[in-house]
Amino acid sequence: MAEPLPGYRPRTRWSWRVSLLSGVSELSRPVRLTLTLLRTTLLVVLVVGVWHALYSHTRVSGGLDAEQATSYAVLAMLLNQQGGLDRMAARDTVLDHVREGTILYWYLRPVSPRRYHLARGLGDQLYALCWAGAGYLACLAAGVVGPPASAPTGILALVSLGLGQVVLYFLTLLIDLMCFWSITNQNAVFVYRFVYDLMSGSFAPLWLFPAWFQAFAWFLPFQAAVNIPLSLYIGRIPLGVFLAATGVQLAWCLALGALSFFVWRRAGRRVTVQGG
Amino acid sequence: MKAVKAVMAISMVNFRGRLEYRADFALGIFLGILWQSSILVFATVLLTRFPGLDGWTRGEILLLVAMRLLSHGLYVMCFMNVSMVPYIVAEGRIDGYLLRPMPVFRQVMLSRFQINAFGDLSVACTIFAVSVPQAGIAWTPTKAGYIAAAVFGGMLMEAAAQTAIGSFSLRGAATSVWLHWVDDLMAAFGNYPLSIFAWPLRSALTFGVPLAFIAYLPAATVTGNTAGTGLPPLIAALAPAIGLAAFIAARLLWHRNLNRYAGIGG
Repeated sequence: MAEPLPGYRPRTRWSWRVSLLSGVSELSRPVRLTLTLLRTTLLVVLVVGVWHALYSHTRVSGGLDAEQATSYAVLAMLLNQQGGLDRMAARDTVLDHVREGTILYWYLRPVSPRRYHLARGLGDQLYALCWAGAGYLACLAAGVVGPPASAPTGILALVSLGLGQVVLYFLTLLIDLMCFWSITNQNAVFVYRFVYDLMSGSFAPLWLFPAWFQAFAWFLPFQAAVNIPLSLYIGRIPLGVFLAATGVQLAWCLALGALSFFVWRRAGRRVTVQGG
Repeated sequence: MKAVKAVMAISMVNFRGRLEYRADFALGIFLGILWQSSILVFATVLLTRFPGLDGWTRGEILLLVAMRLLSHGLYVMCFMNVSMVPYIVAEGRIDGYLLRPMPVFRQVMLSRFQINAFGDLSVACTIFAVSVPQAGIAWTPTKAGYIAAAVFGGMLMEAAAQTAIGSFSLRGAATSVWLHWVDDLMAAFGNYPLSIFAWPLRSALTFGVPLAFIAYLPAATVTGNTAGTGLPPLIAALAPAIGLAAFIAARLLWHRNLNRYAGIGG
């Protein structure tokens, strides 16, 4: 069963409202919002403290001075904060639906599973980006994060960030689709998250790692979401290198998009229901 | 003795259950190795690029990292299931646990076998073995015994923090985000000597989230870096005992909240 029932036409307008689910759910809980704000603020302070301490006896390392490294680290932390979303707790992950058999309903609704997943994923990422954006503006005003190297650089960094989010969505989608074959993907999710955090430059700027590691990371999709846009923002990479990096991002967008299309079609043929 | 036999039997069943999903099992071990190795890579990169932090030498920081990883590996093996309490409560499984002739906390600990603990511990032991000669410490049996006590104390302190937070799930609070956040906080900042932070932040990470007691204070005691802890050296040295006391307090809080458990139906 790979397509909705015959006779139903996907209602495009309604399907995109699904993207509001997570955000509206979070916004309806002022306590959660406040606690998310407190957690994020504490993390910013800790990250700034660590990087100031690291650079207390060093001027430049990995081509980054203290301000660049601190700006990078803070922005990377803000981008990685999910804004408080916890779909595991809400039992709303693909893994939960496959285990409980409710994944069947994804194929019965007048919205294709592919579009539903896209709408939810888009909503979650936009919600997280709203928190990141608000955090960025606050840090910029407080002088914790420096401004972009130039206005065009800032705009290009935003475009790169957008491409990075597309890559991030496709990677998340492919991990979710694993459930259709392996029934459980918990450890795969953890391995993916860890590899993503390390290879994207979220732990630390990739510029601090050995040259072989940077070369290895260059061709992988993970740095598309964090290292490339942030490196351009802080002025670490010139425009020429950025254009090459953007080409790699685009290539990954296309490759992962094609792969996910193929995997979705195969996944639909494997819908199994456990006990229900 | 009966309790030990029951724990062993249940653990074997859980282990065999995890083994049924072979790919997931292999990934679980791989995850533990990967995670701990990444901490080492990250620490090595930073220590190579930057000179010692706040007077701590590279060897001393490596010892601090090793102690934290060892404590965390033991915590993952013995107590990590406490982070699953929100999900266990949501599934209504506590109601079943209350009917069985075994403490609920023990059943929660036995609810799942943490495969990644194998990977965690193997790498942690390796890092520890590498860090010991590099720390520049004149090792004595007393110091070795203290390190062992500190590692167990760190395990108990981490378990205490997660148990205290997770116990509020029994009263209906949504604690999963906080459990993950504290875990991430400990992983991200537990490897640094906390003297690098200003005193308000240092105090928060000592008395708020008790990160300092897991590895920083014991490592400071052994390496002689207690001047920057902001605490009397005796208090810093008592970190393992404080970890034990914190765990006992967390268990008491667990019992208190369990007595107020009303089930997910209200």
